[in-house]
Amino acid sequence: MKSKWIALLLLVPLCAPAQTTYQSAQPGYRYEFPRDHFNHEGYQTEWWYYTGNLSSSDGHRFGFELTFFRQGVSREPSTNPWFVSDLWMAHLALSDLTGQKFYHEERLNRSGPGLAGVDEPSAQIWNGNWQGLIRPGEHDLSAVASSFQINLKLIPAKPPVIHGQNGISQKAEGAGHASHYISLTRLQTSGIITLNGKPYTVDGASWMDHEFFTGSMADTESGWDWLSIQLEDNSELMLYRLRHRDGTLDPYFSGTFIDPQGRATFLPLRDFTMTPAGDNWTSPRTKATYPERWHISIPKLSLDLDVTTPLREQELVATYGPSYWEGSVNISAKRAGAALHGLGYLEMTGYASPGQSVLPR
Amino acid sequence: MGRFTLLYRLMLRPLLQRPGRALLILFAIALGDAAVVAIDMAGDAAAGSFRSSMESFTGNNDLEITAAGGVPETIAAQLARLPLDLRLSPRIEDHATIVATGETVPLIGIDLVGEANGEAAQRLDQAGLRDPIQHINDPDAVWVAGALGKAVGEKIDLLINDQTRDYTVRGLVPDTAKLGGDAILMDIRAAQQATGKSGRVDRILIKTPRSGSFDDWQRQIRRALPAGIMLSPQGSATAANRRMLAAFRWNLRVLSYIALLVGAFLIYNAISVSVVRRRADIGAVRALGASRNMVLSAFLLESSLFGLIGSLAALPLGRLLASGAVGMLSTTVNALYVSSTAGALRITTGSVLLALIAGMGVTLASALAPAREASQVPPTEAMARGRREYEVRIERHRDALIALILAVLGAVAAQAPEIAGKPLMGYLAAMLFVGASALLTPLVVHAVTFAGAGLMRRLMGVEALLACRSLGGSLRRTSVLVGALATAIAMMTSVGIMVGSFRQTVLTWMDAQLSGDLYLRPAGALNADQHPTIAPRVAERIASVPGVESVARFRAYEIEYQGLPATLAGVDIDLHRREQSLSFLSGRPPVDVLRELAAGDNALVSEPFANKHHVKAGDTITLPLGETRPTFRILDIFYDYGHEAGYILLARQTMLKYLPNPAPTNLAVFLKPGADLESTRAAVQKAVAGSDLLILSNAVLRREGIRVFDQTFAITYALEAISILVAIGGIAGALLSIVMDRRREFGILRFLGGTGSQIRKLTLVEAGLIGLLANATGLALGFVLSLVLIYVINKQSFGWTIQFHWPVTVLLSSLSLVYVATVLAGIAPARIAVRLNPIEVVHEE
Amino acid sequence: MEHVTRDYAAEGERVRALNDVSLSVGSGRFVALVGRSGCGKSTLLHLAGAMDFPTAGHVRLEGLATDALSEPELTRLRREKVGFVFQSFQLLNTLSVVENVEVPLLLAGRRNPRPAAMERLASVGLAELAHRMTHQLSGGQMQRVAIARALVHGPRLLLADEPTGNLDTATGNAILHLLRQIREEQKLTILMATHSAEAAAIADVVIHMRDGQMVQD
Repeated sequence: MKSKWIALLLLVPLCAPAQTTYQSAQPGYRYEFPRDHFNHEGYQTEWWYYTGNLSSSDGHRFGFELTFFRQGVSREPSTNPWFVSDLWMAHLALSDLTGQKFYHEERLNRSGPGLAGVDEPSAQIWNGNWQGLIRPGEHDLSAVASSFQINLKLIPAKPPVIHGQNGISQKAEGAGHASHYISLTRLQTSGIITLNGKPYTVDGASWMDHEFFTGSMADTESGWDWLSIQLEDNSELMLYRLRHRDGTLDPYFSGTFIDPQGRATFLPLRDFTMTPAGDNWTSPRTKATYPERWHISIPKLSLDLDVTTPLREQELVATYGPSYWEGSVNISAKRAGAALHGLGYLEMTGYASPGQSVLPR
Repeated sequence: MGRFTLLYRLMLRPLLQRPGRALLILFAIALGDAAVVAIDMAGDAAAGSFRSSMESFTGNNDLEITAAGGVPETIAAQLARLPLDLRLSPRIEDHATIVATGETVPLIGIDLVGEANGEAAQRLDQAGLRDPIQHINDPDAVWVAGALGKAVGEKIDLLINDQTRDYTVRGLVPDTAKLGGDAILMDIRAAQQATGKSGRVDRILIKTPRSGSFDDWQRQIRRALPAGIMLSPQGSATAANRRMLAAFRWNLRVLSYIALLVGAFLIYNAISVSVVRRRADIGAVRALGASRNMVLSAFLLESSLFGLIGSLAALPLGRLLASGAVGMLSTTVNALYVSSTAGALRITTGSVLLALIAGMGVTLASALAPAREASQVPPTEAMARGRREYEVRIERHRDALIALILAVLGAVAAQAPEIAGKPLMGYLAAMLFVGASALLTPLVVHAVTFAGAGLMRRLMGVEALLACRSLGGSLRRTSVLVGALATAIAMMTSVGIMVGSFRQTVLTWMDAQLSGDLYLRPAGALNADQHPTIAPRVAERIASVPGVESVARFRAYEIEYQGLPATLAGVDIDLHRREQSLSFLSGRPPVDVLRELAAGDNALVSEPFANKHHVKAGDTITLPLGETRPTFRILDIFYDYGHEAGYILLARQTMLKYLPNPAPTNLAVFLKPGADLESTRAAVQKAVAGSDLLILSNAVLRREGIRVFDQTFAITYALEAISILVAIGGIAGALLSIVMDRRREFGILRFLGGTGSQIRKLTLVEAGLIGLLANATGLALGFVLSLVLIYVINKQSFGWTIQFHWPVTVLLSSLSLVYVATVLAGIAPARIAVRLNPIEVVHEE
Repeated sequence: MEHVTRDYAAEGERVRALNDVSLSVGSGRFVALVGRSGCGKSTLLHLAGAMDFPTAGHVRLEGLATDALSEPELTRLRREKVGFVFQSFQLLNTLSVVENVEVPLLLAGRRNPRPAAMERLASVGLAELAHRMTHQLSGGQMQRVAIARALVHGPRLLLADEPTGNLDTATGNAILHLLRQIREEQKLTILMATHSAEAAAIADVVIHMRDGQMVQD
């Protein structure tokens, strides 16, 4: 579940009301791969989100995030390549966990004559020189930022997972408040991260999320918290919870458990708890206070997890949208009493100027 | 302390008691110096620190990518995808005419989405463009500079190329956004559509990262670009234009120094006179124990005081003159060179220093000789005045000899080629000739007054005889006066001859060049570097109008060649046309040359181009066009007085091979023999209805061409006028001092039966004689200088061949004007002479 | 001169240069006015020559009152009737000797003044210096030229203001004798101002002046 779409929806307040009709996520969607790894023009909003935990041979730990985001603006046909049919935004972040520093950049582009976009025939998705080559069996990511670069090879270890039920992941009450949500929950990753001119050969595991939908968040919602977890026993978890302005939690919060064979189990609200456990950190820049310790309990799976972060400051202070915290976390779990470790990514949104919530300026 | 008292009493107090004379000297210095300062400031603002209109809204970038005919837009994407941390800004850069005001402003199309990244976002923010997404796909959305006085939501009619359309103002850009003047912003897609530049952008600005070497970045980017695309540091087009304007500025500067030089003559004269007048005082002071050096420093101090006050006065005066000049100069720069906004007029430390050094330097230099003379006055001073004058008479032969040597040296210098693109030897030759003329003047004055005295007496009576004798008697002073006025006249004459010749050459050239009957171009003001286009179908429509024999299409692009701006053009060649519009240096008939032109990758270049880039017929040039760098063979060189920048002409078919955009920038319509001009013109007008085009007849085009020419030289005329003013002011002062010095003689004449009117006549005849001598000498010197101007300075600075031509009417009228002014300058002194009380003056002992 | 008074304004003060002076000079007489500087002798000379006019009283030349004459009449007077000689010669340096002598005639519009000028030069003994420039002459020679010039137009009255003032005694005497000689030959009336009693002795009549008034007869 990702954040930027809120912001952009307000950047494009009245886009596509009468002229364009976008589809909304409906149950019964038939997924086909590799087709569904690429673009879904009929839906207004879409993103491809890669995160991962990597380390070099001498133990230097990194976390990375590369997101490609698309927002539909107009579906009028045009011959001019500069016509804005979609807006493309991208985020690139590197958490130097060993060096205790966080780097991030964002960009905004139109498709133009090839500035950004997705192209199935050439299997590419890109925004300037941040690009992904999505081939069956291998995703190649490369991105250049001002102080770092990443060049990674990601090999899916498991088939794609469809979250939710009946092919849609419901976010709130009512039709239109759902998305098609695909994940590749474990990608063996290797490559080179260059930081401040110094190259590090790294490997580890990544996670890819791909969501597409048309719709908006309900007014009552103020933000959410999302976790992806990769445990050392080759199982994965995806969990999220939505928060209301009045402090209550939305009943549509849910998750998915993926077993070592790649079978996915839907976890509705009643099957787990996800609670902040203190260790608050206040951002000096946005003044938001993020709980950086979480406790998750999934009785059905006999799982208890503790989530902590090795780097407190992993907040993305954004220009095109609200700021949020997204970073690498350490998992310390117990399954049926046995200790289990893992790594993951945690995202917390809506904490920056609560109440003001989501105005992009 | 005693010395200062002496100084005060001897020097300063008399000055204060007779402020008129001192004021005249100050006026001469201040005005001459002001001219120098004004030209320096205005020249810098209009031609040195001007801001090319295209630098609107650019921010601080490092490199830019350009290509003749536009950069293919895919290059922008290619660069964006390079694994280099670059910030890119693709832009459409064109012009739009605001129909309501007739003002032509830059039209800039930027990627309003992409510009929201990074630091560019701040600029957008400041510009109030933070939320353009709402109108991003509106083809008629514009953002305009606040200064244009429009409100958000208002409509604005803009003429772009040959179409006028309605646009809607979606936002106002405040001045703080450093738009650099009035400009109109659009999203890049809308701009592409409005200007018809589909598939291309005009420039891509690149900001490279701080780390790493700039050269490395340049190399890496260069590798990724096709051969015809140019990569250069940002603003190189402006730099190229400024470079080309260097010659223009240089010549202006030199012109301004002449005004100062004329002032120098007059300062020399004034101080000489004051030395002569105070010989007795100086002798007395020396007898009382003052040393030579004291006298020298006293006079130098007096001069420095004049110089200082004059120079300081020159600054505000110069600033005032500059504000008048900068408008003229900027208009010229725009009309002949490049669309630009003049920089601000600033009195910098540089201008202050210039004013002081020029003003004081010139004053002190001219005061040096008389001051030295003063220091040589012996303590026992008798009335040896006549003796000294006698000594000067002997020297005139020696001076004449030196003059001859200088003239020969000058002739030699005039043969030399340019140095570093500047005709320095030409300037030297001019100075040598001026020096020669100055040294020859005593001989001339003596010969005329000596030989002419008898004649004068017969023609105009005893007053004329006395006038002649008195002028010849005080030879040194008279020579200086005549020399000063003659120099000013020579300058006026030489520039007048040059401009007249140039004008005549242009007129003759236009006769040959403009052989079409009607010319069409997009409406809207045109600067030299703007080439709005006409929709291609228009030419076809015109060709089918009855009465039209043929339509020649012409397309021009601005390119850069070897660091200087140049225009590349392609033209339809019709070998069957009776008159062809080009004259070639080789003298070959145009039909032959043009036939060859159409036959391959051949080119014709203009004379200024050949001069600036040192090429001749038979050489080859390689031009970056589109994405390739083809080589062309230069067939011949043609005369071109319409542009100072170089011009390259290709056959239209050849140019379309590399730059395929078929829209022409000009159309020349040739009528069938016997066709009626008016009715055909009306038919053509109907045929092009719907496009905003100007239809000009041959006659109108010529008039327009000459008007631009005249406007260009307006500043020259202004400078000449200043020189003449300085000269006349000095003459008036000098005549006054002559009268004062000779008051004793006037008194005697009264005693001897002379009447007031005889005295007046005497003074006026003297003024008239000075005027006559100065006119004659000035004309002769002016003729020589005009040769240097036409054949050396102009040719080396700009590359034009000018045919010599006497502008008889202009010369006659300006010379008469000067003569009359000189005589008029004598009226006041004459009146003073008449009013002198003979008793008082004769008995002054 | 009848009860002639002449006042000046000098630096705001009224200065009386001549105070009720009456004088009558007969034709052909040589009169010397003697006195120190400032006694009014020069003023009297100027009044006699109609170069200046009395504040009170009248000056008559051959019966005509000078202050009643119009400007053209005054000019005629100077061109025909009166000649001036000055202490510092007052020659025109840019003209030659003979040209200096010609000047009065030229001013009067005479067509060919050369013969008359040469004759006059000869009469003062300087014919051979005719074409020299004035600064090449000695003081005495210059004064002779001045005298020739003063007489070239045949005036009836010669006014000499300190003619020997800038000359040494011997040269000065020669000049005085020349004046006397000329008076004899041409029946000229000469009015001479001088501060030297010795110089005055050459005249027929000596009048002493002091403070604007005559003191003896």
